Amino acid sequence: MKLTRRAVLSAGVAMPFIGRTAFAQSNTIAIGALTPQTGAGGSYGPSMVKTIRAVVDEVNAAGGVLGRKIELISENDETSPEAGVRAARKLIDVNKVSAILGTWASSVTTAVAPLCWENKVMLFTVSGADSITQLPHQGFIIRTQPTSKLQSTRIAEFLLSRGAKRTFVMSAQTPFAVSGFNTVSEVLTAAKTEVLGHVIYDPAKATFRSELEQAIKTKPDTIFFNSYTPDLTTLLRELYRLGYEGRKHTMAYAANAKLLEALPAEVTEGLTSMAPSPDVDSPVYKKVRDILGTSDPDPYSCQTYDHITMALLAIARAGESSGPAIHGAVRKISQGTGTKISSAVEGLKLIAQKTEVNYEGASGPCDFADTGDIITCKFRFDVAEAGKNRLLGIS
Amino acid sequence: MENYLIAMTVFAGIYAIMALGMNLIWGLGGMVNLGLAGFYAVGAYTSALVTTKLGLPIYLAVPLAVLVSALVGVIVAVITARLQGDYLAIVTLGLAELVRLTASNEIWLTNGTDGISGVPGPWRGVLSPTAFNSLYLGIVLCIIAVLFLVLSRLAASPFGRVLRAIREDEMIAAVAGKNVLSFKIRTFAVGCGLVGLAGALFAHYSSYVAPDVFQSIVTIHVILAVAVGGVGNMRGALLGAVIVIALGEATRFLAGSLDFIAPSQAAAVRESLIALFLIVVLNVRKQGLLPEKTPVYSEEKR
Amino acid sequence: MELVQILVNGLMAGTLLAIPAIGFTTIFAVLRFPNFAVGGLMAIGAYTGLVANTMGGLPLLATLPIAFMVAGLIGVGSDKLMISGLRPSGPLAAAIGTIALGLLLENALRFVFGNEFRTFNIPPVRDWRFGDLRVPPHQVENATYALVIMAVLFCFLMFTRSGKMMRAVADNPALAGLKGINAVRTTDMATFLGMGLAGIGGVLIGLDVAIDPLIGTRTMLAVFAAAVVGGLGSIPGAVLGAFIIGLGEELALLAVAPTYRTAVGFLAILLILSFRPRGLLGERRY
Repeated sequence: MKLTRRAVLSAGVAMPFIGRTAFAQSNTIAIGALTPQTGAGGSYGPSMVKTIRAVVDEVNAAGGVLGRKIELISENDETSPEAGVRAARKLIDVNKVSAILGTWASSVTTAVAPLCWENKVMLFTVSGADSITQLPHQGFIIRTQPTSKLQSTRIAEFLLSRGAKRTFVMSAQTPFAVSGFNTVSEVLTAAKTEVLGHVIYDPAKATFRSELEQAIKTKPDTIFFNSYTPDLTTLLRELYRLGYEGRKHTMAYAANAKLLEALPAEVTEGLTSMAPSPDVDSPVYKKVRDILGTSDPDPYSCQTYDHITMALLAIARAGESSGPAIHGAVRKISQGTGTKISSAVEGLKLIAQKTEVNYEGASGPCDFADTGDIITCKFRFDVAEAGKNRLLGIS
Repeated sequence: MENYLIAMTVFAGIYAIMALGMNLIWGLGGMVNLGLAGFYAVGAYTSALVTTKLGLPIYLAVPLAVLVSALVGVIVAVITARLQGDYLAIVTLGLAELVRLTASNEIWLTNGTDGISGVPGPWRGVLSPTAFNSLYLGIVLCIIAVLFLVLSRLAASPFGRVLRAIREDEMIAAVAGKNVLSFKIRTFAVGCGLVGLAGALFAHYSSYVAPDVFQSIVTIHVILAVAVGGVGNMRGALLGAVIVIALGEATRFLAGSLDFIAPSQAAAVRESLIALFLIVVLNVRKQGLLPEKTPVYSEEKR
Repeated sequence: MELVQILVNGLMAGTLLAIPAIGFTTIFAVLRFPNFAVGGLMAIGAYTGLVANTMGGLPLLATLPIAFMVAGLIGVGSDKLMISGLRPSGPLAAAIGTIALGLLLENALRFVFGNEFRTFNIPPVRDWRFGDLRVPPHQVENATYALVIMAVLFCFLMFTRSGKMMRAVADNPALAGLKGINAVRTTDMATFLGMGLAGIGGVLIGLDVAIDPLIGTRTMLAVFAAAVVGGLGSIPGAVLGAFIIGLGEELALLAVAPTYRTAVGFLAILLILSFRPRGLLGERRY
């Protein structure tokens, strides 16, 4: 397989438009991964592909799906909608994939989505913008990232439970910066606490000192950072220097293991974070930990692990590998009253025995509404202590 | 496969239109515009906004997008008229960033980083995806054919000759009684209008515009197209655009076959190859693959 | 009081921009083209410092000369290999070549180090406080380094033979050639110096941020802006320009949303250039 593909590819390099050999052999099932490997999202993409690859290898080692091997084709979306569309075109038209997994930037997902529903390819995404599931996608989008409404509500409730009375919000410029703040603000003010202000900053800047001073001037007891890892790194350092002693909270994809490892412990001390989560002793979560070799796998990699598992289970359940087949079967294997399962291989065995299954993933129970959004999920809350995350609880 | 080839040809066509605009500004006018991505954005956003918010038909929206981009080109040209090449290069670079920032921040108008989705395409939804793709390719090719004819005539016309004269030596052209500033502004405006046209065509093809689309890598790719094809040569600009897209796609297949390295490394290899290609072409074929042929005087006298 | 704090922040931001801006402008002064690979070399410098600090265990001060040497050598090497042949075809060809070179360097770093963020291993220190005014000690330290580097550079240009040669070429290349100054040696020297300074700039900027292959690209526009405002080719101009951009971006916060900071720096350029098309301290027309 590899040899033929390489031969075709080397021909393709010389004359790209001539290599007309069928790339998608009928004896394999082609699945596409479309993640950022360069550009603003570049730090998140690599581990997202790693978990997908691990599941594919495991399933192939166990004999594949429907007696066919899985062929994973990984493309770089360059964190750019145009590059994403071109890559998706190649995945859909050349590789004939039935599902595309892992789109990260909301702009890339929005750009790629019409191609997917027009060509009846299933799109699994981790993007956060609320507008995505409002597209006319005819059910071809599954999003494992909780909506910004759900996340923001839970964050605000958590902040209240920690005793927040005066909260300031700082957001990186994203499609959900404003809507997220509005939700947080509603919940906090409804509980008769003060929301002191909101600053949206440009995450590409090298310093956020003046922005932080704006925040500190209002004397908050809690600051919520709706940030990503790189900007949070700078923010936390500067916050420490400014001598801020209050509470600080952020998203788990920002406060990941790498950030805690990279920054001095006194800088991250007390930083709380939240991520969609399965139950405490979920075997899937442990598995993703092993795959990535870290105690705190980032939420995106957990979600892509679920993407590939659900896609493969849906193919097995439907008995065919097309996009519409996944579309029709994905909710049959991810929710309902079937046997709870936590891995693709385990699920495939049961499906082969005509047993109904219910996949409980690394990012949560993976139950989806018709819009493609997750219906509900638990969140885990961690607090950084001495440079390590300690689980506060899952609720 | 066919769909993919058609789609990539459409992208090549969109880049070709930008390359024609760039060729006019750079190749004939001798001016630097590293803010191409900004004009691309202005065109795309104009067309997307007037069709989605005002309900204008596409055939009116696209010319409007060209006009607005050309107008922004005039403004920029007037402001920067006194600047010399190197200063102009950096100012235009900053300009593209300014456009992107505006698109990200003025949520009331542009919907911010969310972007504008559901931009209509001609008979999209009525036709099958393949038919829509083919139709769009036809439209883009027709536009390129018309542009090519018009621009070739322009290059050979007295206007083109004056431009080349200005490019070679501004002082002499001025001494010869040519209003250098006016020529430069007009050229800059037409070039920017073409880039805006490419933006509008992108918007109606992809049905989505967002600030993320208009990153400076777009400018790099168009510069690559013009430099590879041959600065000052219209055919070269078209060839260059095809090569840039073909190179981008061919390296995609190459990177895909490198499954023994990490995906981020494969991505790095791919981008490095594109950069190296540009460096090699610039070094080996300084005039590009199709060098500019300046019309011989006697030929023109006919 | 708030204004004083903003001025302090702006000055600190300015010293960070000044070093790479000097590097960029030095290359321009001697070679007369904008070398856009500066962003790539800033990233190289940042990673060199990072490796020396986190793997080699060196203190920050010791990483600076290493970053200078490595960035300088890679700068000269890549220039000789890929860019020098383009210079006869004009400044634009060379400038475009350096855009590609920057992209190449960024991806070389991506290949070796991956995309994940890395940070220097430096203990955090709380700000000094003077009443309500806060001054971060490490930035004072950075500013000191920057000033020392500027002083050394000044002495080099004023008092050493190589420095005098570089100034001669910058002033009048034709005349310098007549006087028998070796052009290749001088341009190499300028590239080495300029890229080395970009490397140091990369380390100093990298101290506060998460380092990834895009670190140079993200800061590059502000560096160019500083050099342009001051006048391309003028070293005092680059310093002045860096402070103007640094202060401008911080002062902008008083008037507009933080997400528009970059735009304000850019508008400052337009404003200054419309009165002085060659920047504040750039005078000569070549």
